[in-house]
Amino acid sequence: MTWVTWQQYRYQAAFAAALLAALAVVLLISGLHAAAVWHSALAQCATDHSCASVVGSNLSLGNRIITTLVVATSAVPVLPGLLWGAPAVATELETGTNQFAWTQSVTRRRWLAVRTAWLLLAAAVIAGSVSAIVTWWSGPFNALTADAFQVNRFDVTDIVPVGYAIFAMALGISAGTLLRRTLPALGMTLAGFAGVRLVVALWLRLHYMTPVTVYYKLTAPVTPPGSYLLVTNGFVGPDGKPAALDYNVPNYNGVALPSACVHATQNSPDPQAVLPCLAAHGYRASVTFQPASRFWAFQGIETGIFVVLAAVLIGITFFVLRHRDA
Amino acid sequence: MSAVIQTSGLTKRYRRVTALSDCTISVPEGRISALVGPNGAGKTTLLRLLAGLAAPTAGQATVLGGVPRQDPAYLAEVGFLAQEAPLYRRRTAEHHIGIGAHMNQHWDSESVRARLSRVRIPLDRPVGTLSGGQRAQVALALTLAKQPGLLLLDEPLAALDPLARQRFLGTLAEAAAGGGPTVVLSSHLIADIERVCDHLILLAESRVQLCDDIETLLAEHRILTGPRKDTTGIARTHAIVREDTTARQTTLLVRLNGPVIDPAWTVDDANLEEIVLGYMSRDDPGYSTGPQAARLSAVGGDR
Repeated sequence: MTWVTWQQYRYQAAFAAALLAALAVVLLISGLHAAAVWHSALAQCATDHSCASVVGSNLSLGNRIITTLVVATSAVPVLPGLLWGAPAVATELETGTNQFAWTQSVTRRRWLAVRTAWLLLAAAVIAGSVSAIVTWWSGPFNALTADAFQVNRFDVTDIVPVGYAIFAMALGISAGTLLRRTLPALGMTLAGFAGVRLVVALWLRLHYMTPVTVYYKLTAPVTPPGSYLLVTNGFVGPDGKPAALDYNVPNYNGVALPSACVHATQNSPDPQAVLPCLAAHGYRASVTFQPASRFWAFQGIETGIFVVLAAVLIGITFFVLRHRDA
Repeated sequence: MSAVIQTSGLTKRYRRVTALSDCTISVPEGRISALVGPNGAGKTTLLRLLAGLAAPTAGQATVLGGVPRQDPAYLAEVGFLAQEAPLYRRRTAEHHIGIGAHMNQHWDSESVRARLSRVRIPLDRPVGTLSGGQRAQVALALTLAKQPGLLLLDEPLAALDPLARQRFLGTLAEAAAGGGPTVVLSSHLIADIERVCDHLILLAESRVQLCDDIETLLAEHRILTGPRKDTTGIARTHAIVREDTTARQTTLLVRLNGPVIDPAWTVDDANLEEIVLGYMSRDDPGYSTGPQAARLSAVGGDR
């Protein structure tokens, strides 16, 4: 069965390997350049003791096209699921070749098990390879802008892309088995993957662990250290509760200004001028976030979520294939 | 002789339609059985149930002593060739031989190459570029390479021209000769069936109408022609399968139960086509009356 699976996918595998190699070359060149720029900037700042200002500066580490390409690698995990997963069973059912494959001396269950196992492995290897290159490439960028935890960086580095790819492959195979047609299965895979990824990245991820909230004086802003994940920030009123937002009255970022402070904004061209007045009236600011130290915990939790979803989908696929007529 | 296929009350219902109803048949070992019936009569459903590709809603089937199931030992014993001979169109015959070799414990690659070279079919061309007849030959040769005890062929002749049909049946007859597999072959082509088959299963309206050796069927059926008259006398002894009445004469297809005594009737042999058409065109399975109705039920149809 392994031979049969390999024979069926060897050309696609070679094509994928070639694409991976091309991406690796591009990112290797770009990454070496970024590292060189970053290290020379560090060497430069060490001589005049200005390194504190380098982090977060607008130092250019590389081409914007490459940066966009790296963000675009967030699409890599869905590709094996779309191109190989969705057709894996659906094309056989469409062309009737399942009747050839499933009347040899191998049970449907084993046929699916071997094919699914290799496809899942291939998806994991592809996404893992791209992620490894991107993670290496991201090093200087993360050091410069501390955005390892941000959407578009967290999602394309380390282990989460492997989880995404396994999920997309399982989704493709199960969609193809359930819908019995390749094209609808492609649509379901794409829509399902994008939907789950968006919900997880923009909402669920913020709540894997109880976030930390720090309150600070308006006149002395606090930024959490390292590459933290921002959940929310806001104002706390004199009563200790989140300040009500009201954009219909004179306000600062939506916080209705006490009448005494209205005067301060009107007479100053600098909108920040109102802050001492607000502070004097008992207003404070808060930042709620997931600290940078939770990066790996979050990578692990998110990968786990997608792997569990994949396992459920694979289970459904086996159940359907076993209990439905071929 | 032991029965290779034995079903009782085999029924398959899909959501709204009943594809096969209360099917009770028996096919002895070594037969080449023709499965005939109008489109939608349940032929494909019966073959798929026997091949283990579908599960029955009710009833049982016993094939080669076992129940059709997803099990390597069972699958190895049953060769199935689906309608339109589905193969991987972009792959060569040689590639399919490789697939078979890796998916079967018992597999004779050489037999496929030998059979295909005998009918001059290239092994190294994508099967999608072959003619329908050649593709059917490839599919048959691959199915035979498993050396199955039972061969199930679903309308293998439908898309073939007469010469390709002859070649296909030649390959089949040769494979089935002398200890070869028992064969069930669904087809609409009575002339082709007569050439190779020695057993007949007739399905109509998802029910079994006939299941017997062709020799027996030919021996038991007669065409009676006579003046237009009351047929109750005939029906008292024999089973009237079909009755055609014109203004002047009555033609009957009957299943005999002894000699026809009434000299008013001219008795002729019925050929296979007349028998098959006779049963297929009966308005409803309960049409036949008289003492023979019970006997017809015994083959599984009229219950």
